[in-house]
Amino acid sequence: MKTNKILNTSNDLRWQIGEGFHDKLTEGIYSDAATIAQNSVHKKGDAKRFRFDRSLDKIVTSKIWGFPIMILILSVVLWLTIIGANYPSGLLADLLIGEIYPWLKGIGESLGFSWWLSGFLFDGVYLALAWVIAVMLPPMAIFFPLFTLLEDFGYLPRVAFNLDHLLKKSGAHGKQALTMSMGFGCNAAGVIATRIIDSPRERLIAIITNNFSLCNGRWPTQILIASIFIGALVPENFAGAVSTLAVIAIALLGIFFTFIVSLFLSKTMLKGEVSSFTLELPPYRPPRFWKTIYTSLIDRTLIVLWRACIFAAPAGAVIWLISNVSIGDSNIANWMILHMDGFGLLLGLNGVILLAYIVAIPANEIVIPTILMLTVMSAAITGVGEGNGVMFELESVPATGDILKAGGWTLLTAINLMLFSLLHNPCSTTIYTIYKETKSVKWTTIASILPIILGFTVCFIVTQVWRILA
Amino acid sequence: MTNPVTLLIIFGIVLVLLFILFYPKTGFYWRLQQSYKTDPKILIEDILKKLYHAEDNGTKLSSDHIINSLNSSPKKILETISEMEDKELIRFKKGEIKLSETGMDYALRIIRVHRLWEKYLSEKTGFHKKDWHEIAEKMEHKLDSQQTKQLAINLGNPRFDPHGDPIPTETGEVEQLNGKPLPKFKEGAIGRIIHIEDEPEIIYKQILAEDLHIGSHIHIIEKNKKRIVFHSEGEEFILAPIVANNITISELKKEDISEKDTFRLSNLKEHEHAKIIGISRECRGEIRRRLLDLGFVMNTKIEVDLTSPMRNPRAYLVRDTSIAIRNEQAKFILIEKIKIHAETN
Repeated sequence: MKTNKILNTSNDLRWQIGEGFHDKLTEGIYSDAATIAQNSVHKKGDAKRFRFDRSLDKIVTSKIWGFPIMILILSVVLWLTIIGANYPSGLLADLLIGEIYPWLKGIGESLGFSWWLSGFLFDGVYLALAWVIAVMLPPMAIFFPLFTLLEDFGYLPRVAFNLDHLLKKSGAHGKQALTMSMGFGCNAAGVIATRIIDSPRERLIAIITNNFSLCNGRWPTQILIASIFIGALVPENFAGAVSTLAVIAIALLGIFFTFIVSLFLSKTMLKGEVSSFTLELPPYRPPRFWKTIYTSLIDRTLIVLWRACIFAAPAGAVIWLISNVSIGDSNIANWMILHMDGFGLLLGLNGVILLAYIVAIPANEIVIPTILMLTVMSAAITGVGEGNGVMFELESVPATGDILKAGGWTLLTAINLMLFSLLHNPCSTTIYTIYKETKSVKWTTIASILPIILGFTVCFIVTQVWRILA
Repeated sequence: MTNPVTLLIIFGIVLVLLFILFYPKTGFYWRLQQSYKTDPKILIEDILKKLYHAEDNGTKLSSDHIINSLNSSPKKILETISEMEDKELIRFKKGEIKLSETGMDYALRIIRVHRLWEKYLSEKTGFHKKDWHEIAEKMEHKLDSQQTKQLAINLGNPRFDPHGDPIPTETGEVEQLNGKPLPKFKEGAIGRIIHIEDEPEIIYKQILAEDLHIGSHIHIIEKNKKRIVFHSEGEEFILAPIVANNITISELKKEDISEKDTFRLSNLKEHEHAKIIGISRECRGEIRRRLLDLGFVMNTKIEVDLTSPMRNPRAYLVRDTSIAIRNEQAKFILIEKIKIHAETN
């Protein structure tokens, strides 16, 4: 056969060429390219610009200034995001929950919807959607453009360059510093960002550990719980500082777990994956402001938001249904809370928290409203809340604290909730994104299960030690 | 509520149990898996390999030698040996065991799979060098001839495994290495490392720790009964003769010596200029292609651009582009330092 003959000849030839074949080919291409470039490209004197680049590089990668500059920039970005998002979030909540929600319910009433249809559609599906949009959109719309601007300017590769040695020690890639920081904004976006890591092993490590970066959806939970329970431990003047420190400690603990888990993965499950490191440090350039804003909104914010919405709608329906459908003499939610309470208490949490984390898988943002609703319902508190299955949040922090305390919360519960909020399964948007990126059920499962095992273990140990000491 | 101390103790016990069961390699679960696999085929193949290596080295093997060197019960080994004689894989000759022609063919097939698999591990996976041998030891018993053929084609029909051993061809031909062990050379000799033996493991680990590369040129400086000192790629190495014995060198003639002032890129200091000579053969697979694609090719000028706060990685200026690589990779890139006078102003 002709093809066989050709194949055999090619095999013979390959045998004769030897192993340096690819090297020689590349060398040939480069020398040809160099000749062509030399003959046709004329350089203008851009030496001055280059010198500016170098002096800036010397500062941002210097021994003394390299790390402080990085920490400063990340703190400023996070601060802008958390503080800056409050106002637009409030506006959106007013509009979506304060204005449109009653209006929709009014329409339902005028069309003669029965209570369960209006409850299912508006209290369940719509409210969950509205909540996710109101609390998720503004922080992402601030965080991602800021991040993309830094990327466009050329600063981010320098961060990877500075941190590579630290990350390498746990078997990870320098660029994981970037995906980790991106994870502080949103884990799903962080997982997408791991595309910049070209080495398969390090990329998987970055994907699996991204969940340990405390994301935007969890910062408000941490801040709220810390200010209710931990700030209250000290005199009022220090309350703010102490609760801030507690939240930062949780974020740092997340980074610590990133390192530990990376090390564990690279020594066990990911041992044989290919590993390599190269990083191009591009020249600095003025960021293209509007283009950056546009692409970061379209590519990151809207895609992530869209995925979150797709998952939030059914979750809203589920939350409403379990609170309103009864088996025997109690509704499903109460029944589940009752049965999970034992396990929850073992971990220093309670049944409400566990149920909230199960139904609020789509978005961490709706955990607190769900917990409040479930607490009011299961502890039969009167005078607050909007009814079974209707999520709510209170303007006043002490009032929120009162509800939680009435639901049996102690300082230990609060600490464990903060820990569990850091160490639990990624939200469904992230899980879906992990699957999209890895195309592997195995790694998606590991990425989802591993943090929750860690969370159970850490909460369990903290609780038992606390009970021994108390 | 249950007593927290009891709970913690139960938790601790569960943890310890899991640890004992699943600890990598030595865990009970893995051992149980392993013990199922002492089937006669593996033993036959291991004995064939022993015999082949012995004949290759010119040493003689008796049944006692085989019993001592394999991890199986003497009774089983003796049974297997007589079974092999029945199948005409081996012959006895004055108490010494020899491979028959079929036995030789069989042994070469196993060695072919072993070396191909090592090549595969080095090119396509991220397993560390020290793990290659052990993994290949397991795989050599698993692949059939069709799979082996496919593997060889996917790897581009390689001629040598990553240690420099020739891979037997499908028809059972083996190329001969034309080199001698390092201690056989005199002071002043110049040669190229063509093979590093990966057995026994204790010695191989010492060679690995020295960070010697296959393909690099060496220059023997001092040789006596206690130690051998030689230079390679701008660094000095000192080895005990017993360790050096596992390194095979092919001597270079004067006209072949082109790499006199070769250094590793990791040795380049700031403000020094250099020219790339090539990439060491020890740098393989993905990372090698990546370096080539980024422009780390012969005759390219290179200098240090930036050093990160922790001194690793460093960024190098290659064709007007700043590219950061770790020192662990930079040491695979061979350079020749050059002096530039014109640019001092």
